[in-house]
Amino acid sequence: MGEIVQYLLNGLTLGGIYALLALGLYIMWEASKAANFTHGDIYMLGAIVAVVLTERGLPLFVSVTASVAIAAVVGALIERFFVRPFNTEPHSIGWMLTTIAVGMMIESAATQTYGSLGRQLPSILAEKPIRLGGAGVYAQELLLPIAAVATMFGLQVFYRRTRLGRAMRAVAADRMAAGLMGIDSNLVALIAFALAAGIGALTGILIAPVLPALPTMGALTGLKAFGVAIVAGISSARGVVIVGLAYGVMEKFIEGYLSTGARDALGFSLVILALLAFPQGIFGRGEVKKV
Amino acid sequence: MTDVLLKVNDLKVAYGRIEAVRSVSMEVRRGEFVGIIGSNGAGKTSVMRAISGVKSPSAGSITFDGVEITGLPSHTVVAKGLAMVPEGRHIFGDQTVEDNLILGAYLRGGRAKTQLAADTERVLDLFPVLRARLPQAAGSLSGGEQQMLAIARGLLSRPTLLIIDELSLGLAPKILDLLFPVLTELNRAGLSILLVEQMASYALQVTHRTYVMENGGVLMHGDSETLIGDPRILDTYLGHREAS
Repeated sequence: MGEIVQYLLNGLTLGGIYALLALGLYIMWEASKAANFTHGDIYMLGAIVAVVLTERGLPLFVSVTASVAIAAVVGALIERFFVRPFNTEPHSIGWMLTTIAVGMMIESAATQTYGSLGRQLPSILAEKPIRLGGAGVYAQELLLPIAAVATMFGLQVFYRRTRLGRAMRAVAADRMAAGLMGIDSNLVALIAFALAAGIGALTGILIAPVLPALPTMGALTGLKAFGVAIVAGISSARGVVIVGLAYGVMEKFIEGYLSTGARDALGFSLVILALLAFPQGIFGRGEVKKV
Repeated sequence: MTDVLLKVNDLKVAYGRIEAVRSVSMEVRRGEFVGIIGSNGAGKTSVMRAISGVKSPSAGSITFDGVEITGLPSHTVVAKGLAMVPEGRHIFGDQTVEDNLILGAYLRGGRAKTQLAADTERVLDLFPVLRARLPQAAGSLSGGEQQMLAIARGLLSRPTLLIIDELSLGLAPKILDLLFPVLTELNRAGLSILLVEQMASYALQVTHRTYVMENGGVLMHGDSETLIGDPRILDTYLGHREAS
């Protein structure tokens, strides 16, 4: 019993990471119809920058804020220089290569400057575990699934109630019509990438007190988040959160009952099978169209 | 302050190697209601896309309200007071009717809320059917209602010139009898309108002047009243040709 609860809780934490990163991919996809493969490395960057700044003696709150801000700027730069110029035609895929390349550069740069050893971020929520049905978990770990669900609802309000959010939906649905409304779709895409990068960095920061921050933490996690986004149907925020959490839980059970080695082989196999069964993604959008 | 609101000079539009518009010059004066008629593929829509900034022209110049706007992106052109209702309407189908109207007023930001509310009331008075549909997804509207929404949305940017591309596309005559008087009313209230229309008979009846386009160029232009009696127009565009 305790074992199952333990896997479930750890799985929700891991799933929270996937869900939050997949939400970022969803935001960027909606605004620019491009997937940003640096996203896992932005998540890593967020954790590392916060750790480094805290080590330099900055108060936790300041280093966290600075880290998120830096990631947002990096996200905006990636959109401007590595996505937009390679996404000029409806079926352009140049951004795929450029973002993969930039992701690798970020990872190498982090290894050069930060080193390859993991370091943790201090947090009062990761000092004493909470006992729950025979399992132990840090309050910090519970923050991830909570943050994922909160971000999802927050985005919903943002997209439906704010001027910028409505503009993002308009750009997602019809770039030409959005332009005719006076919406600068390039600017909207830039802001979307900054927003997604901010959320990605915050995800890295949230897990950094439990999982030591290191340069290699992003690549595979980012790829899995992409798998989650695709399986869910990248145009559904609710879908990516549900699939993200489920994927994390599934991984922990495979790890627990089979082996860590079986985890990724089995996980990615399921992603492929799911895509065969649901080419549009499980929660993919059935567009309302009338001509 | 000039009398000419929109001036298009020697405009050329190309898609790759295909020249859709060879050399078009036209103008819309302040307060005028101008029509463009012509058969399918004459280049009407390409001219409109170039004017509104959706497509960059390959040559020529476009001046609006005394300012050169050639090649500017559409979001900047709208800001200068030129709104376009595009061919096919392009409403935001998964957003509500109300959201579509709010997006129409996007450039006005959060400023002048009371003015915006008054304007919204005014467009809803023009198209009363939309009022009951405000919370509904715009994609669920009928074709005619979608066209009304597209026009209403265009009006909320408070344009000085409204371009409507293919108003009648896919709409029943009954709806057109409802839409055209609204345009006349808007024009009488001071709005300049440039209307692209395949249904020449309708366009010639409501507009002051008309350009006839063919093969990417302007074939002729003149007062709509005169053109409506022109045998070439009767023949080609109004389908009055006698069976021989």
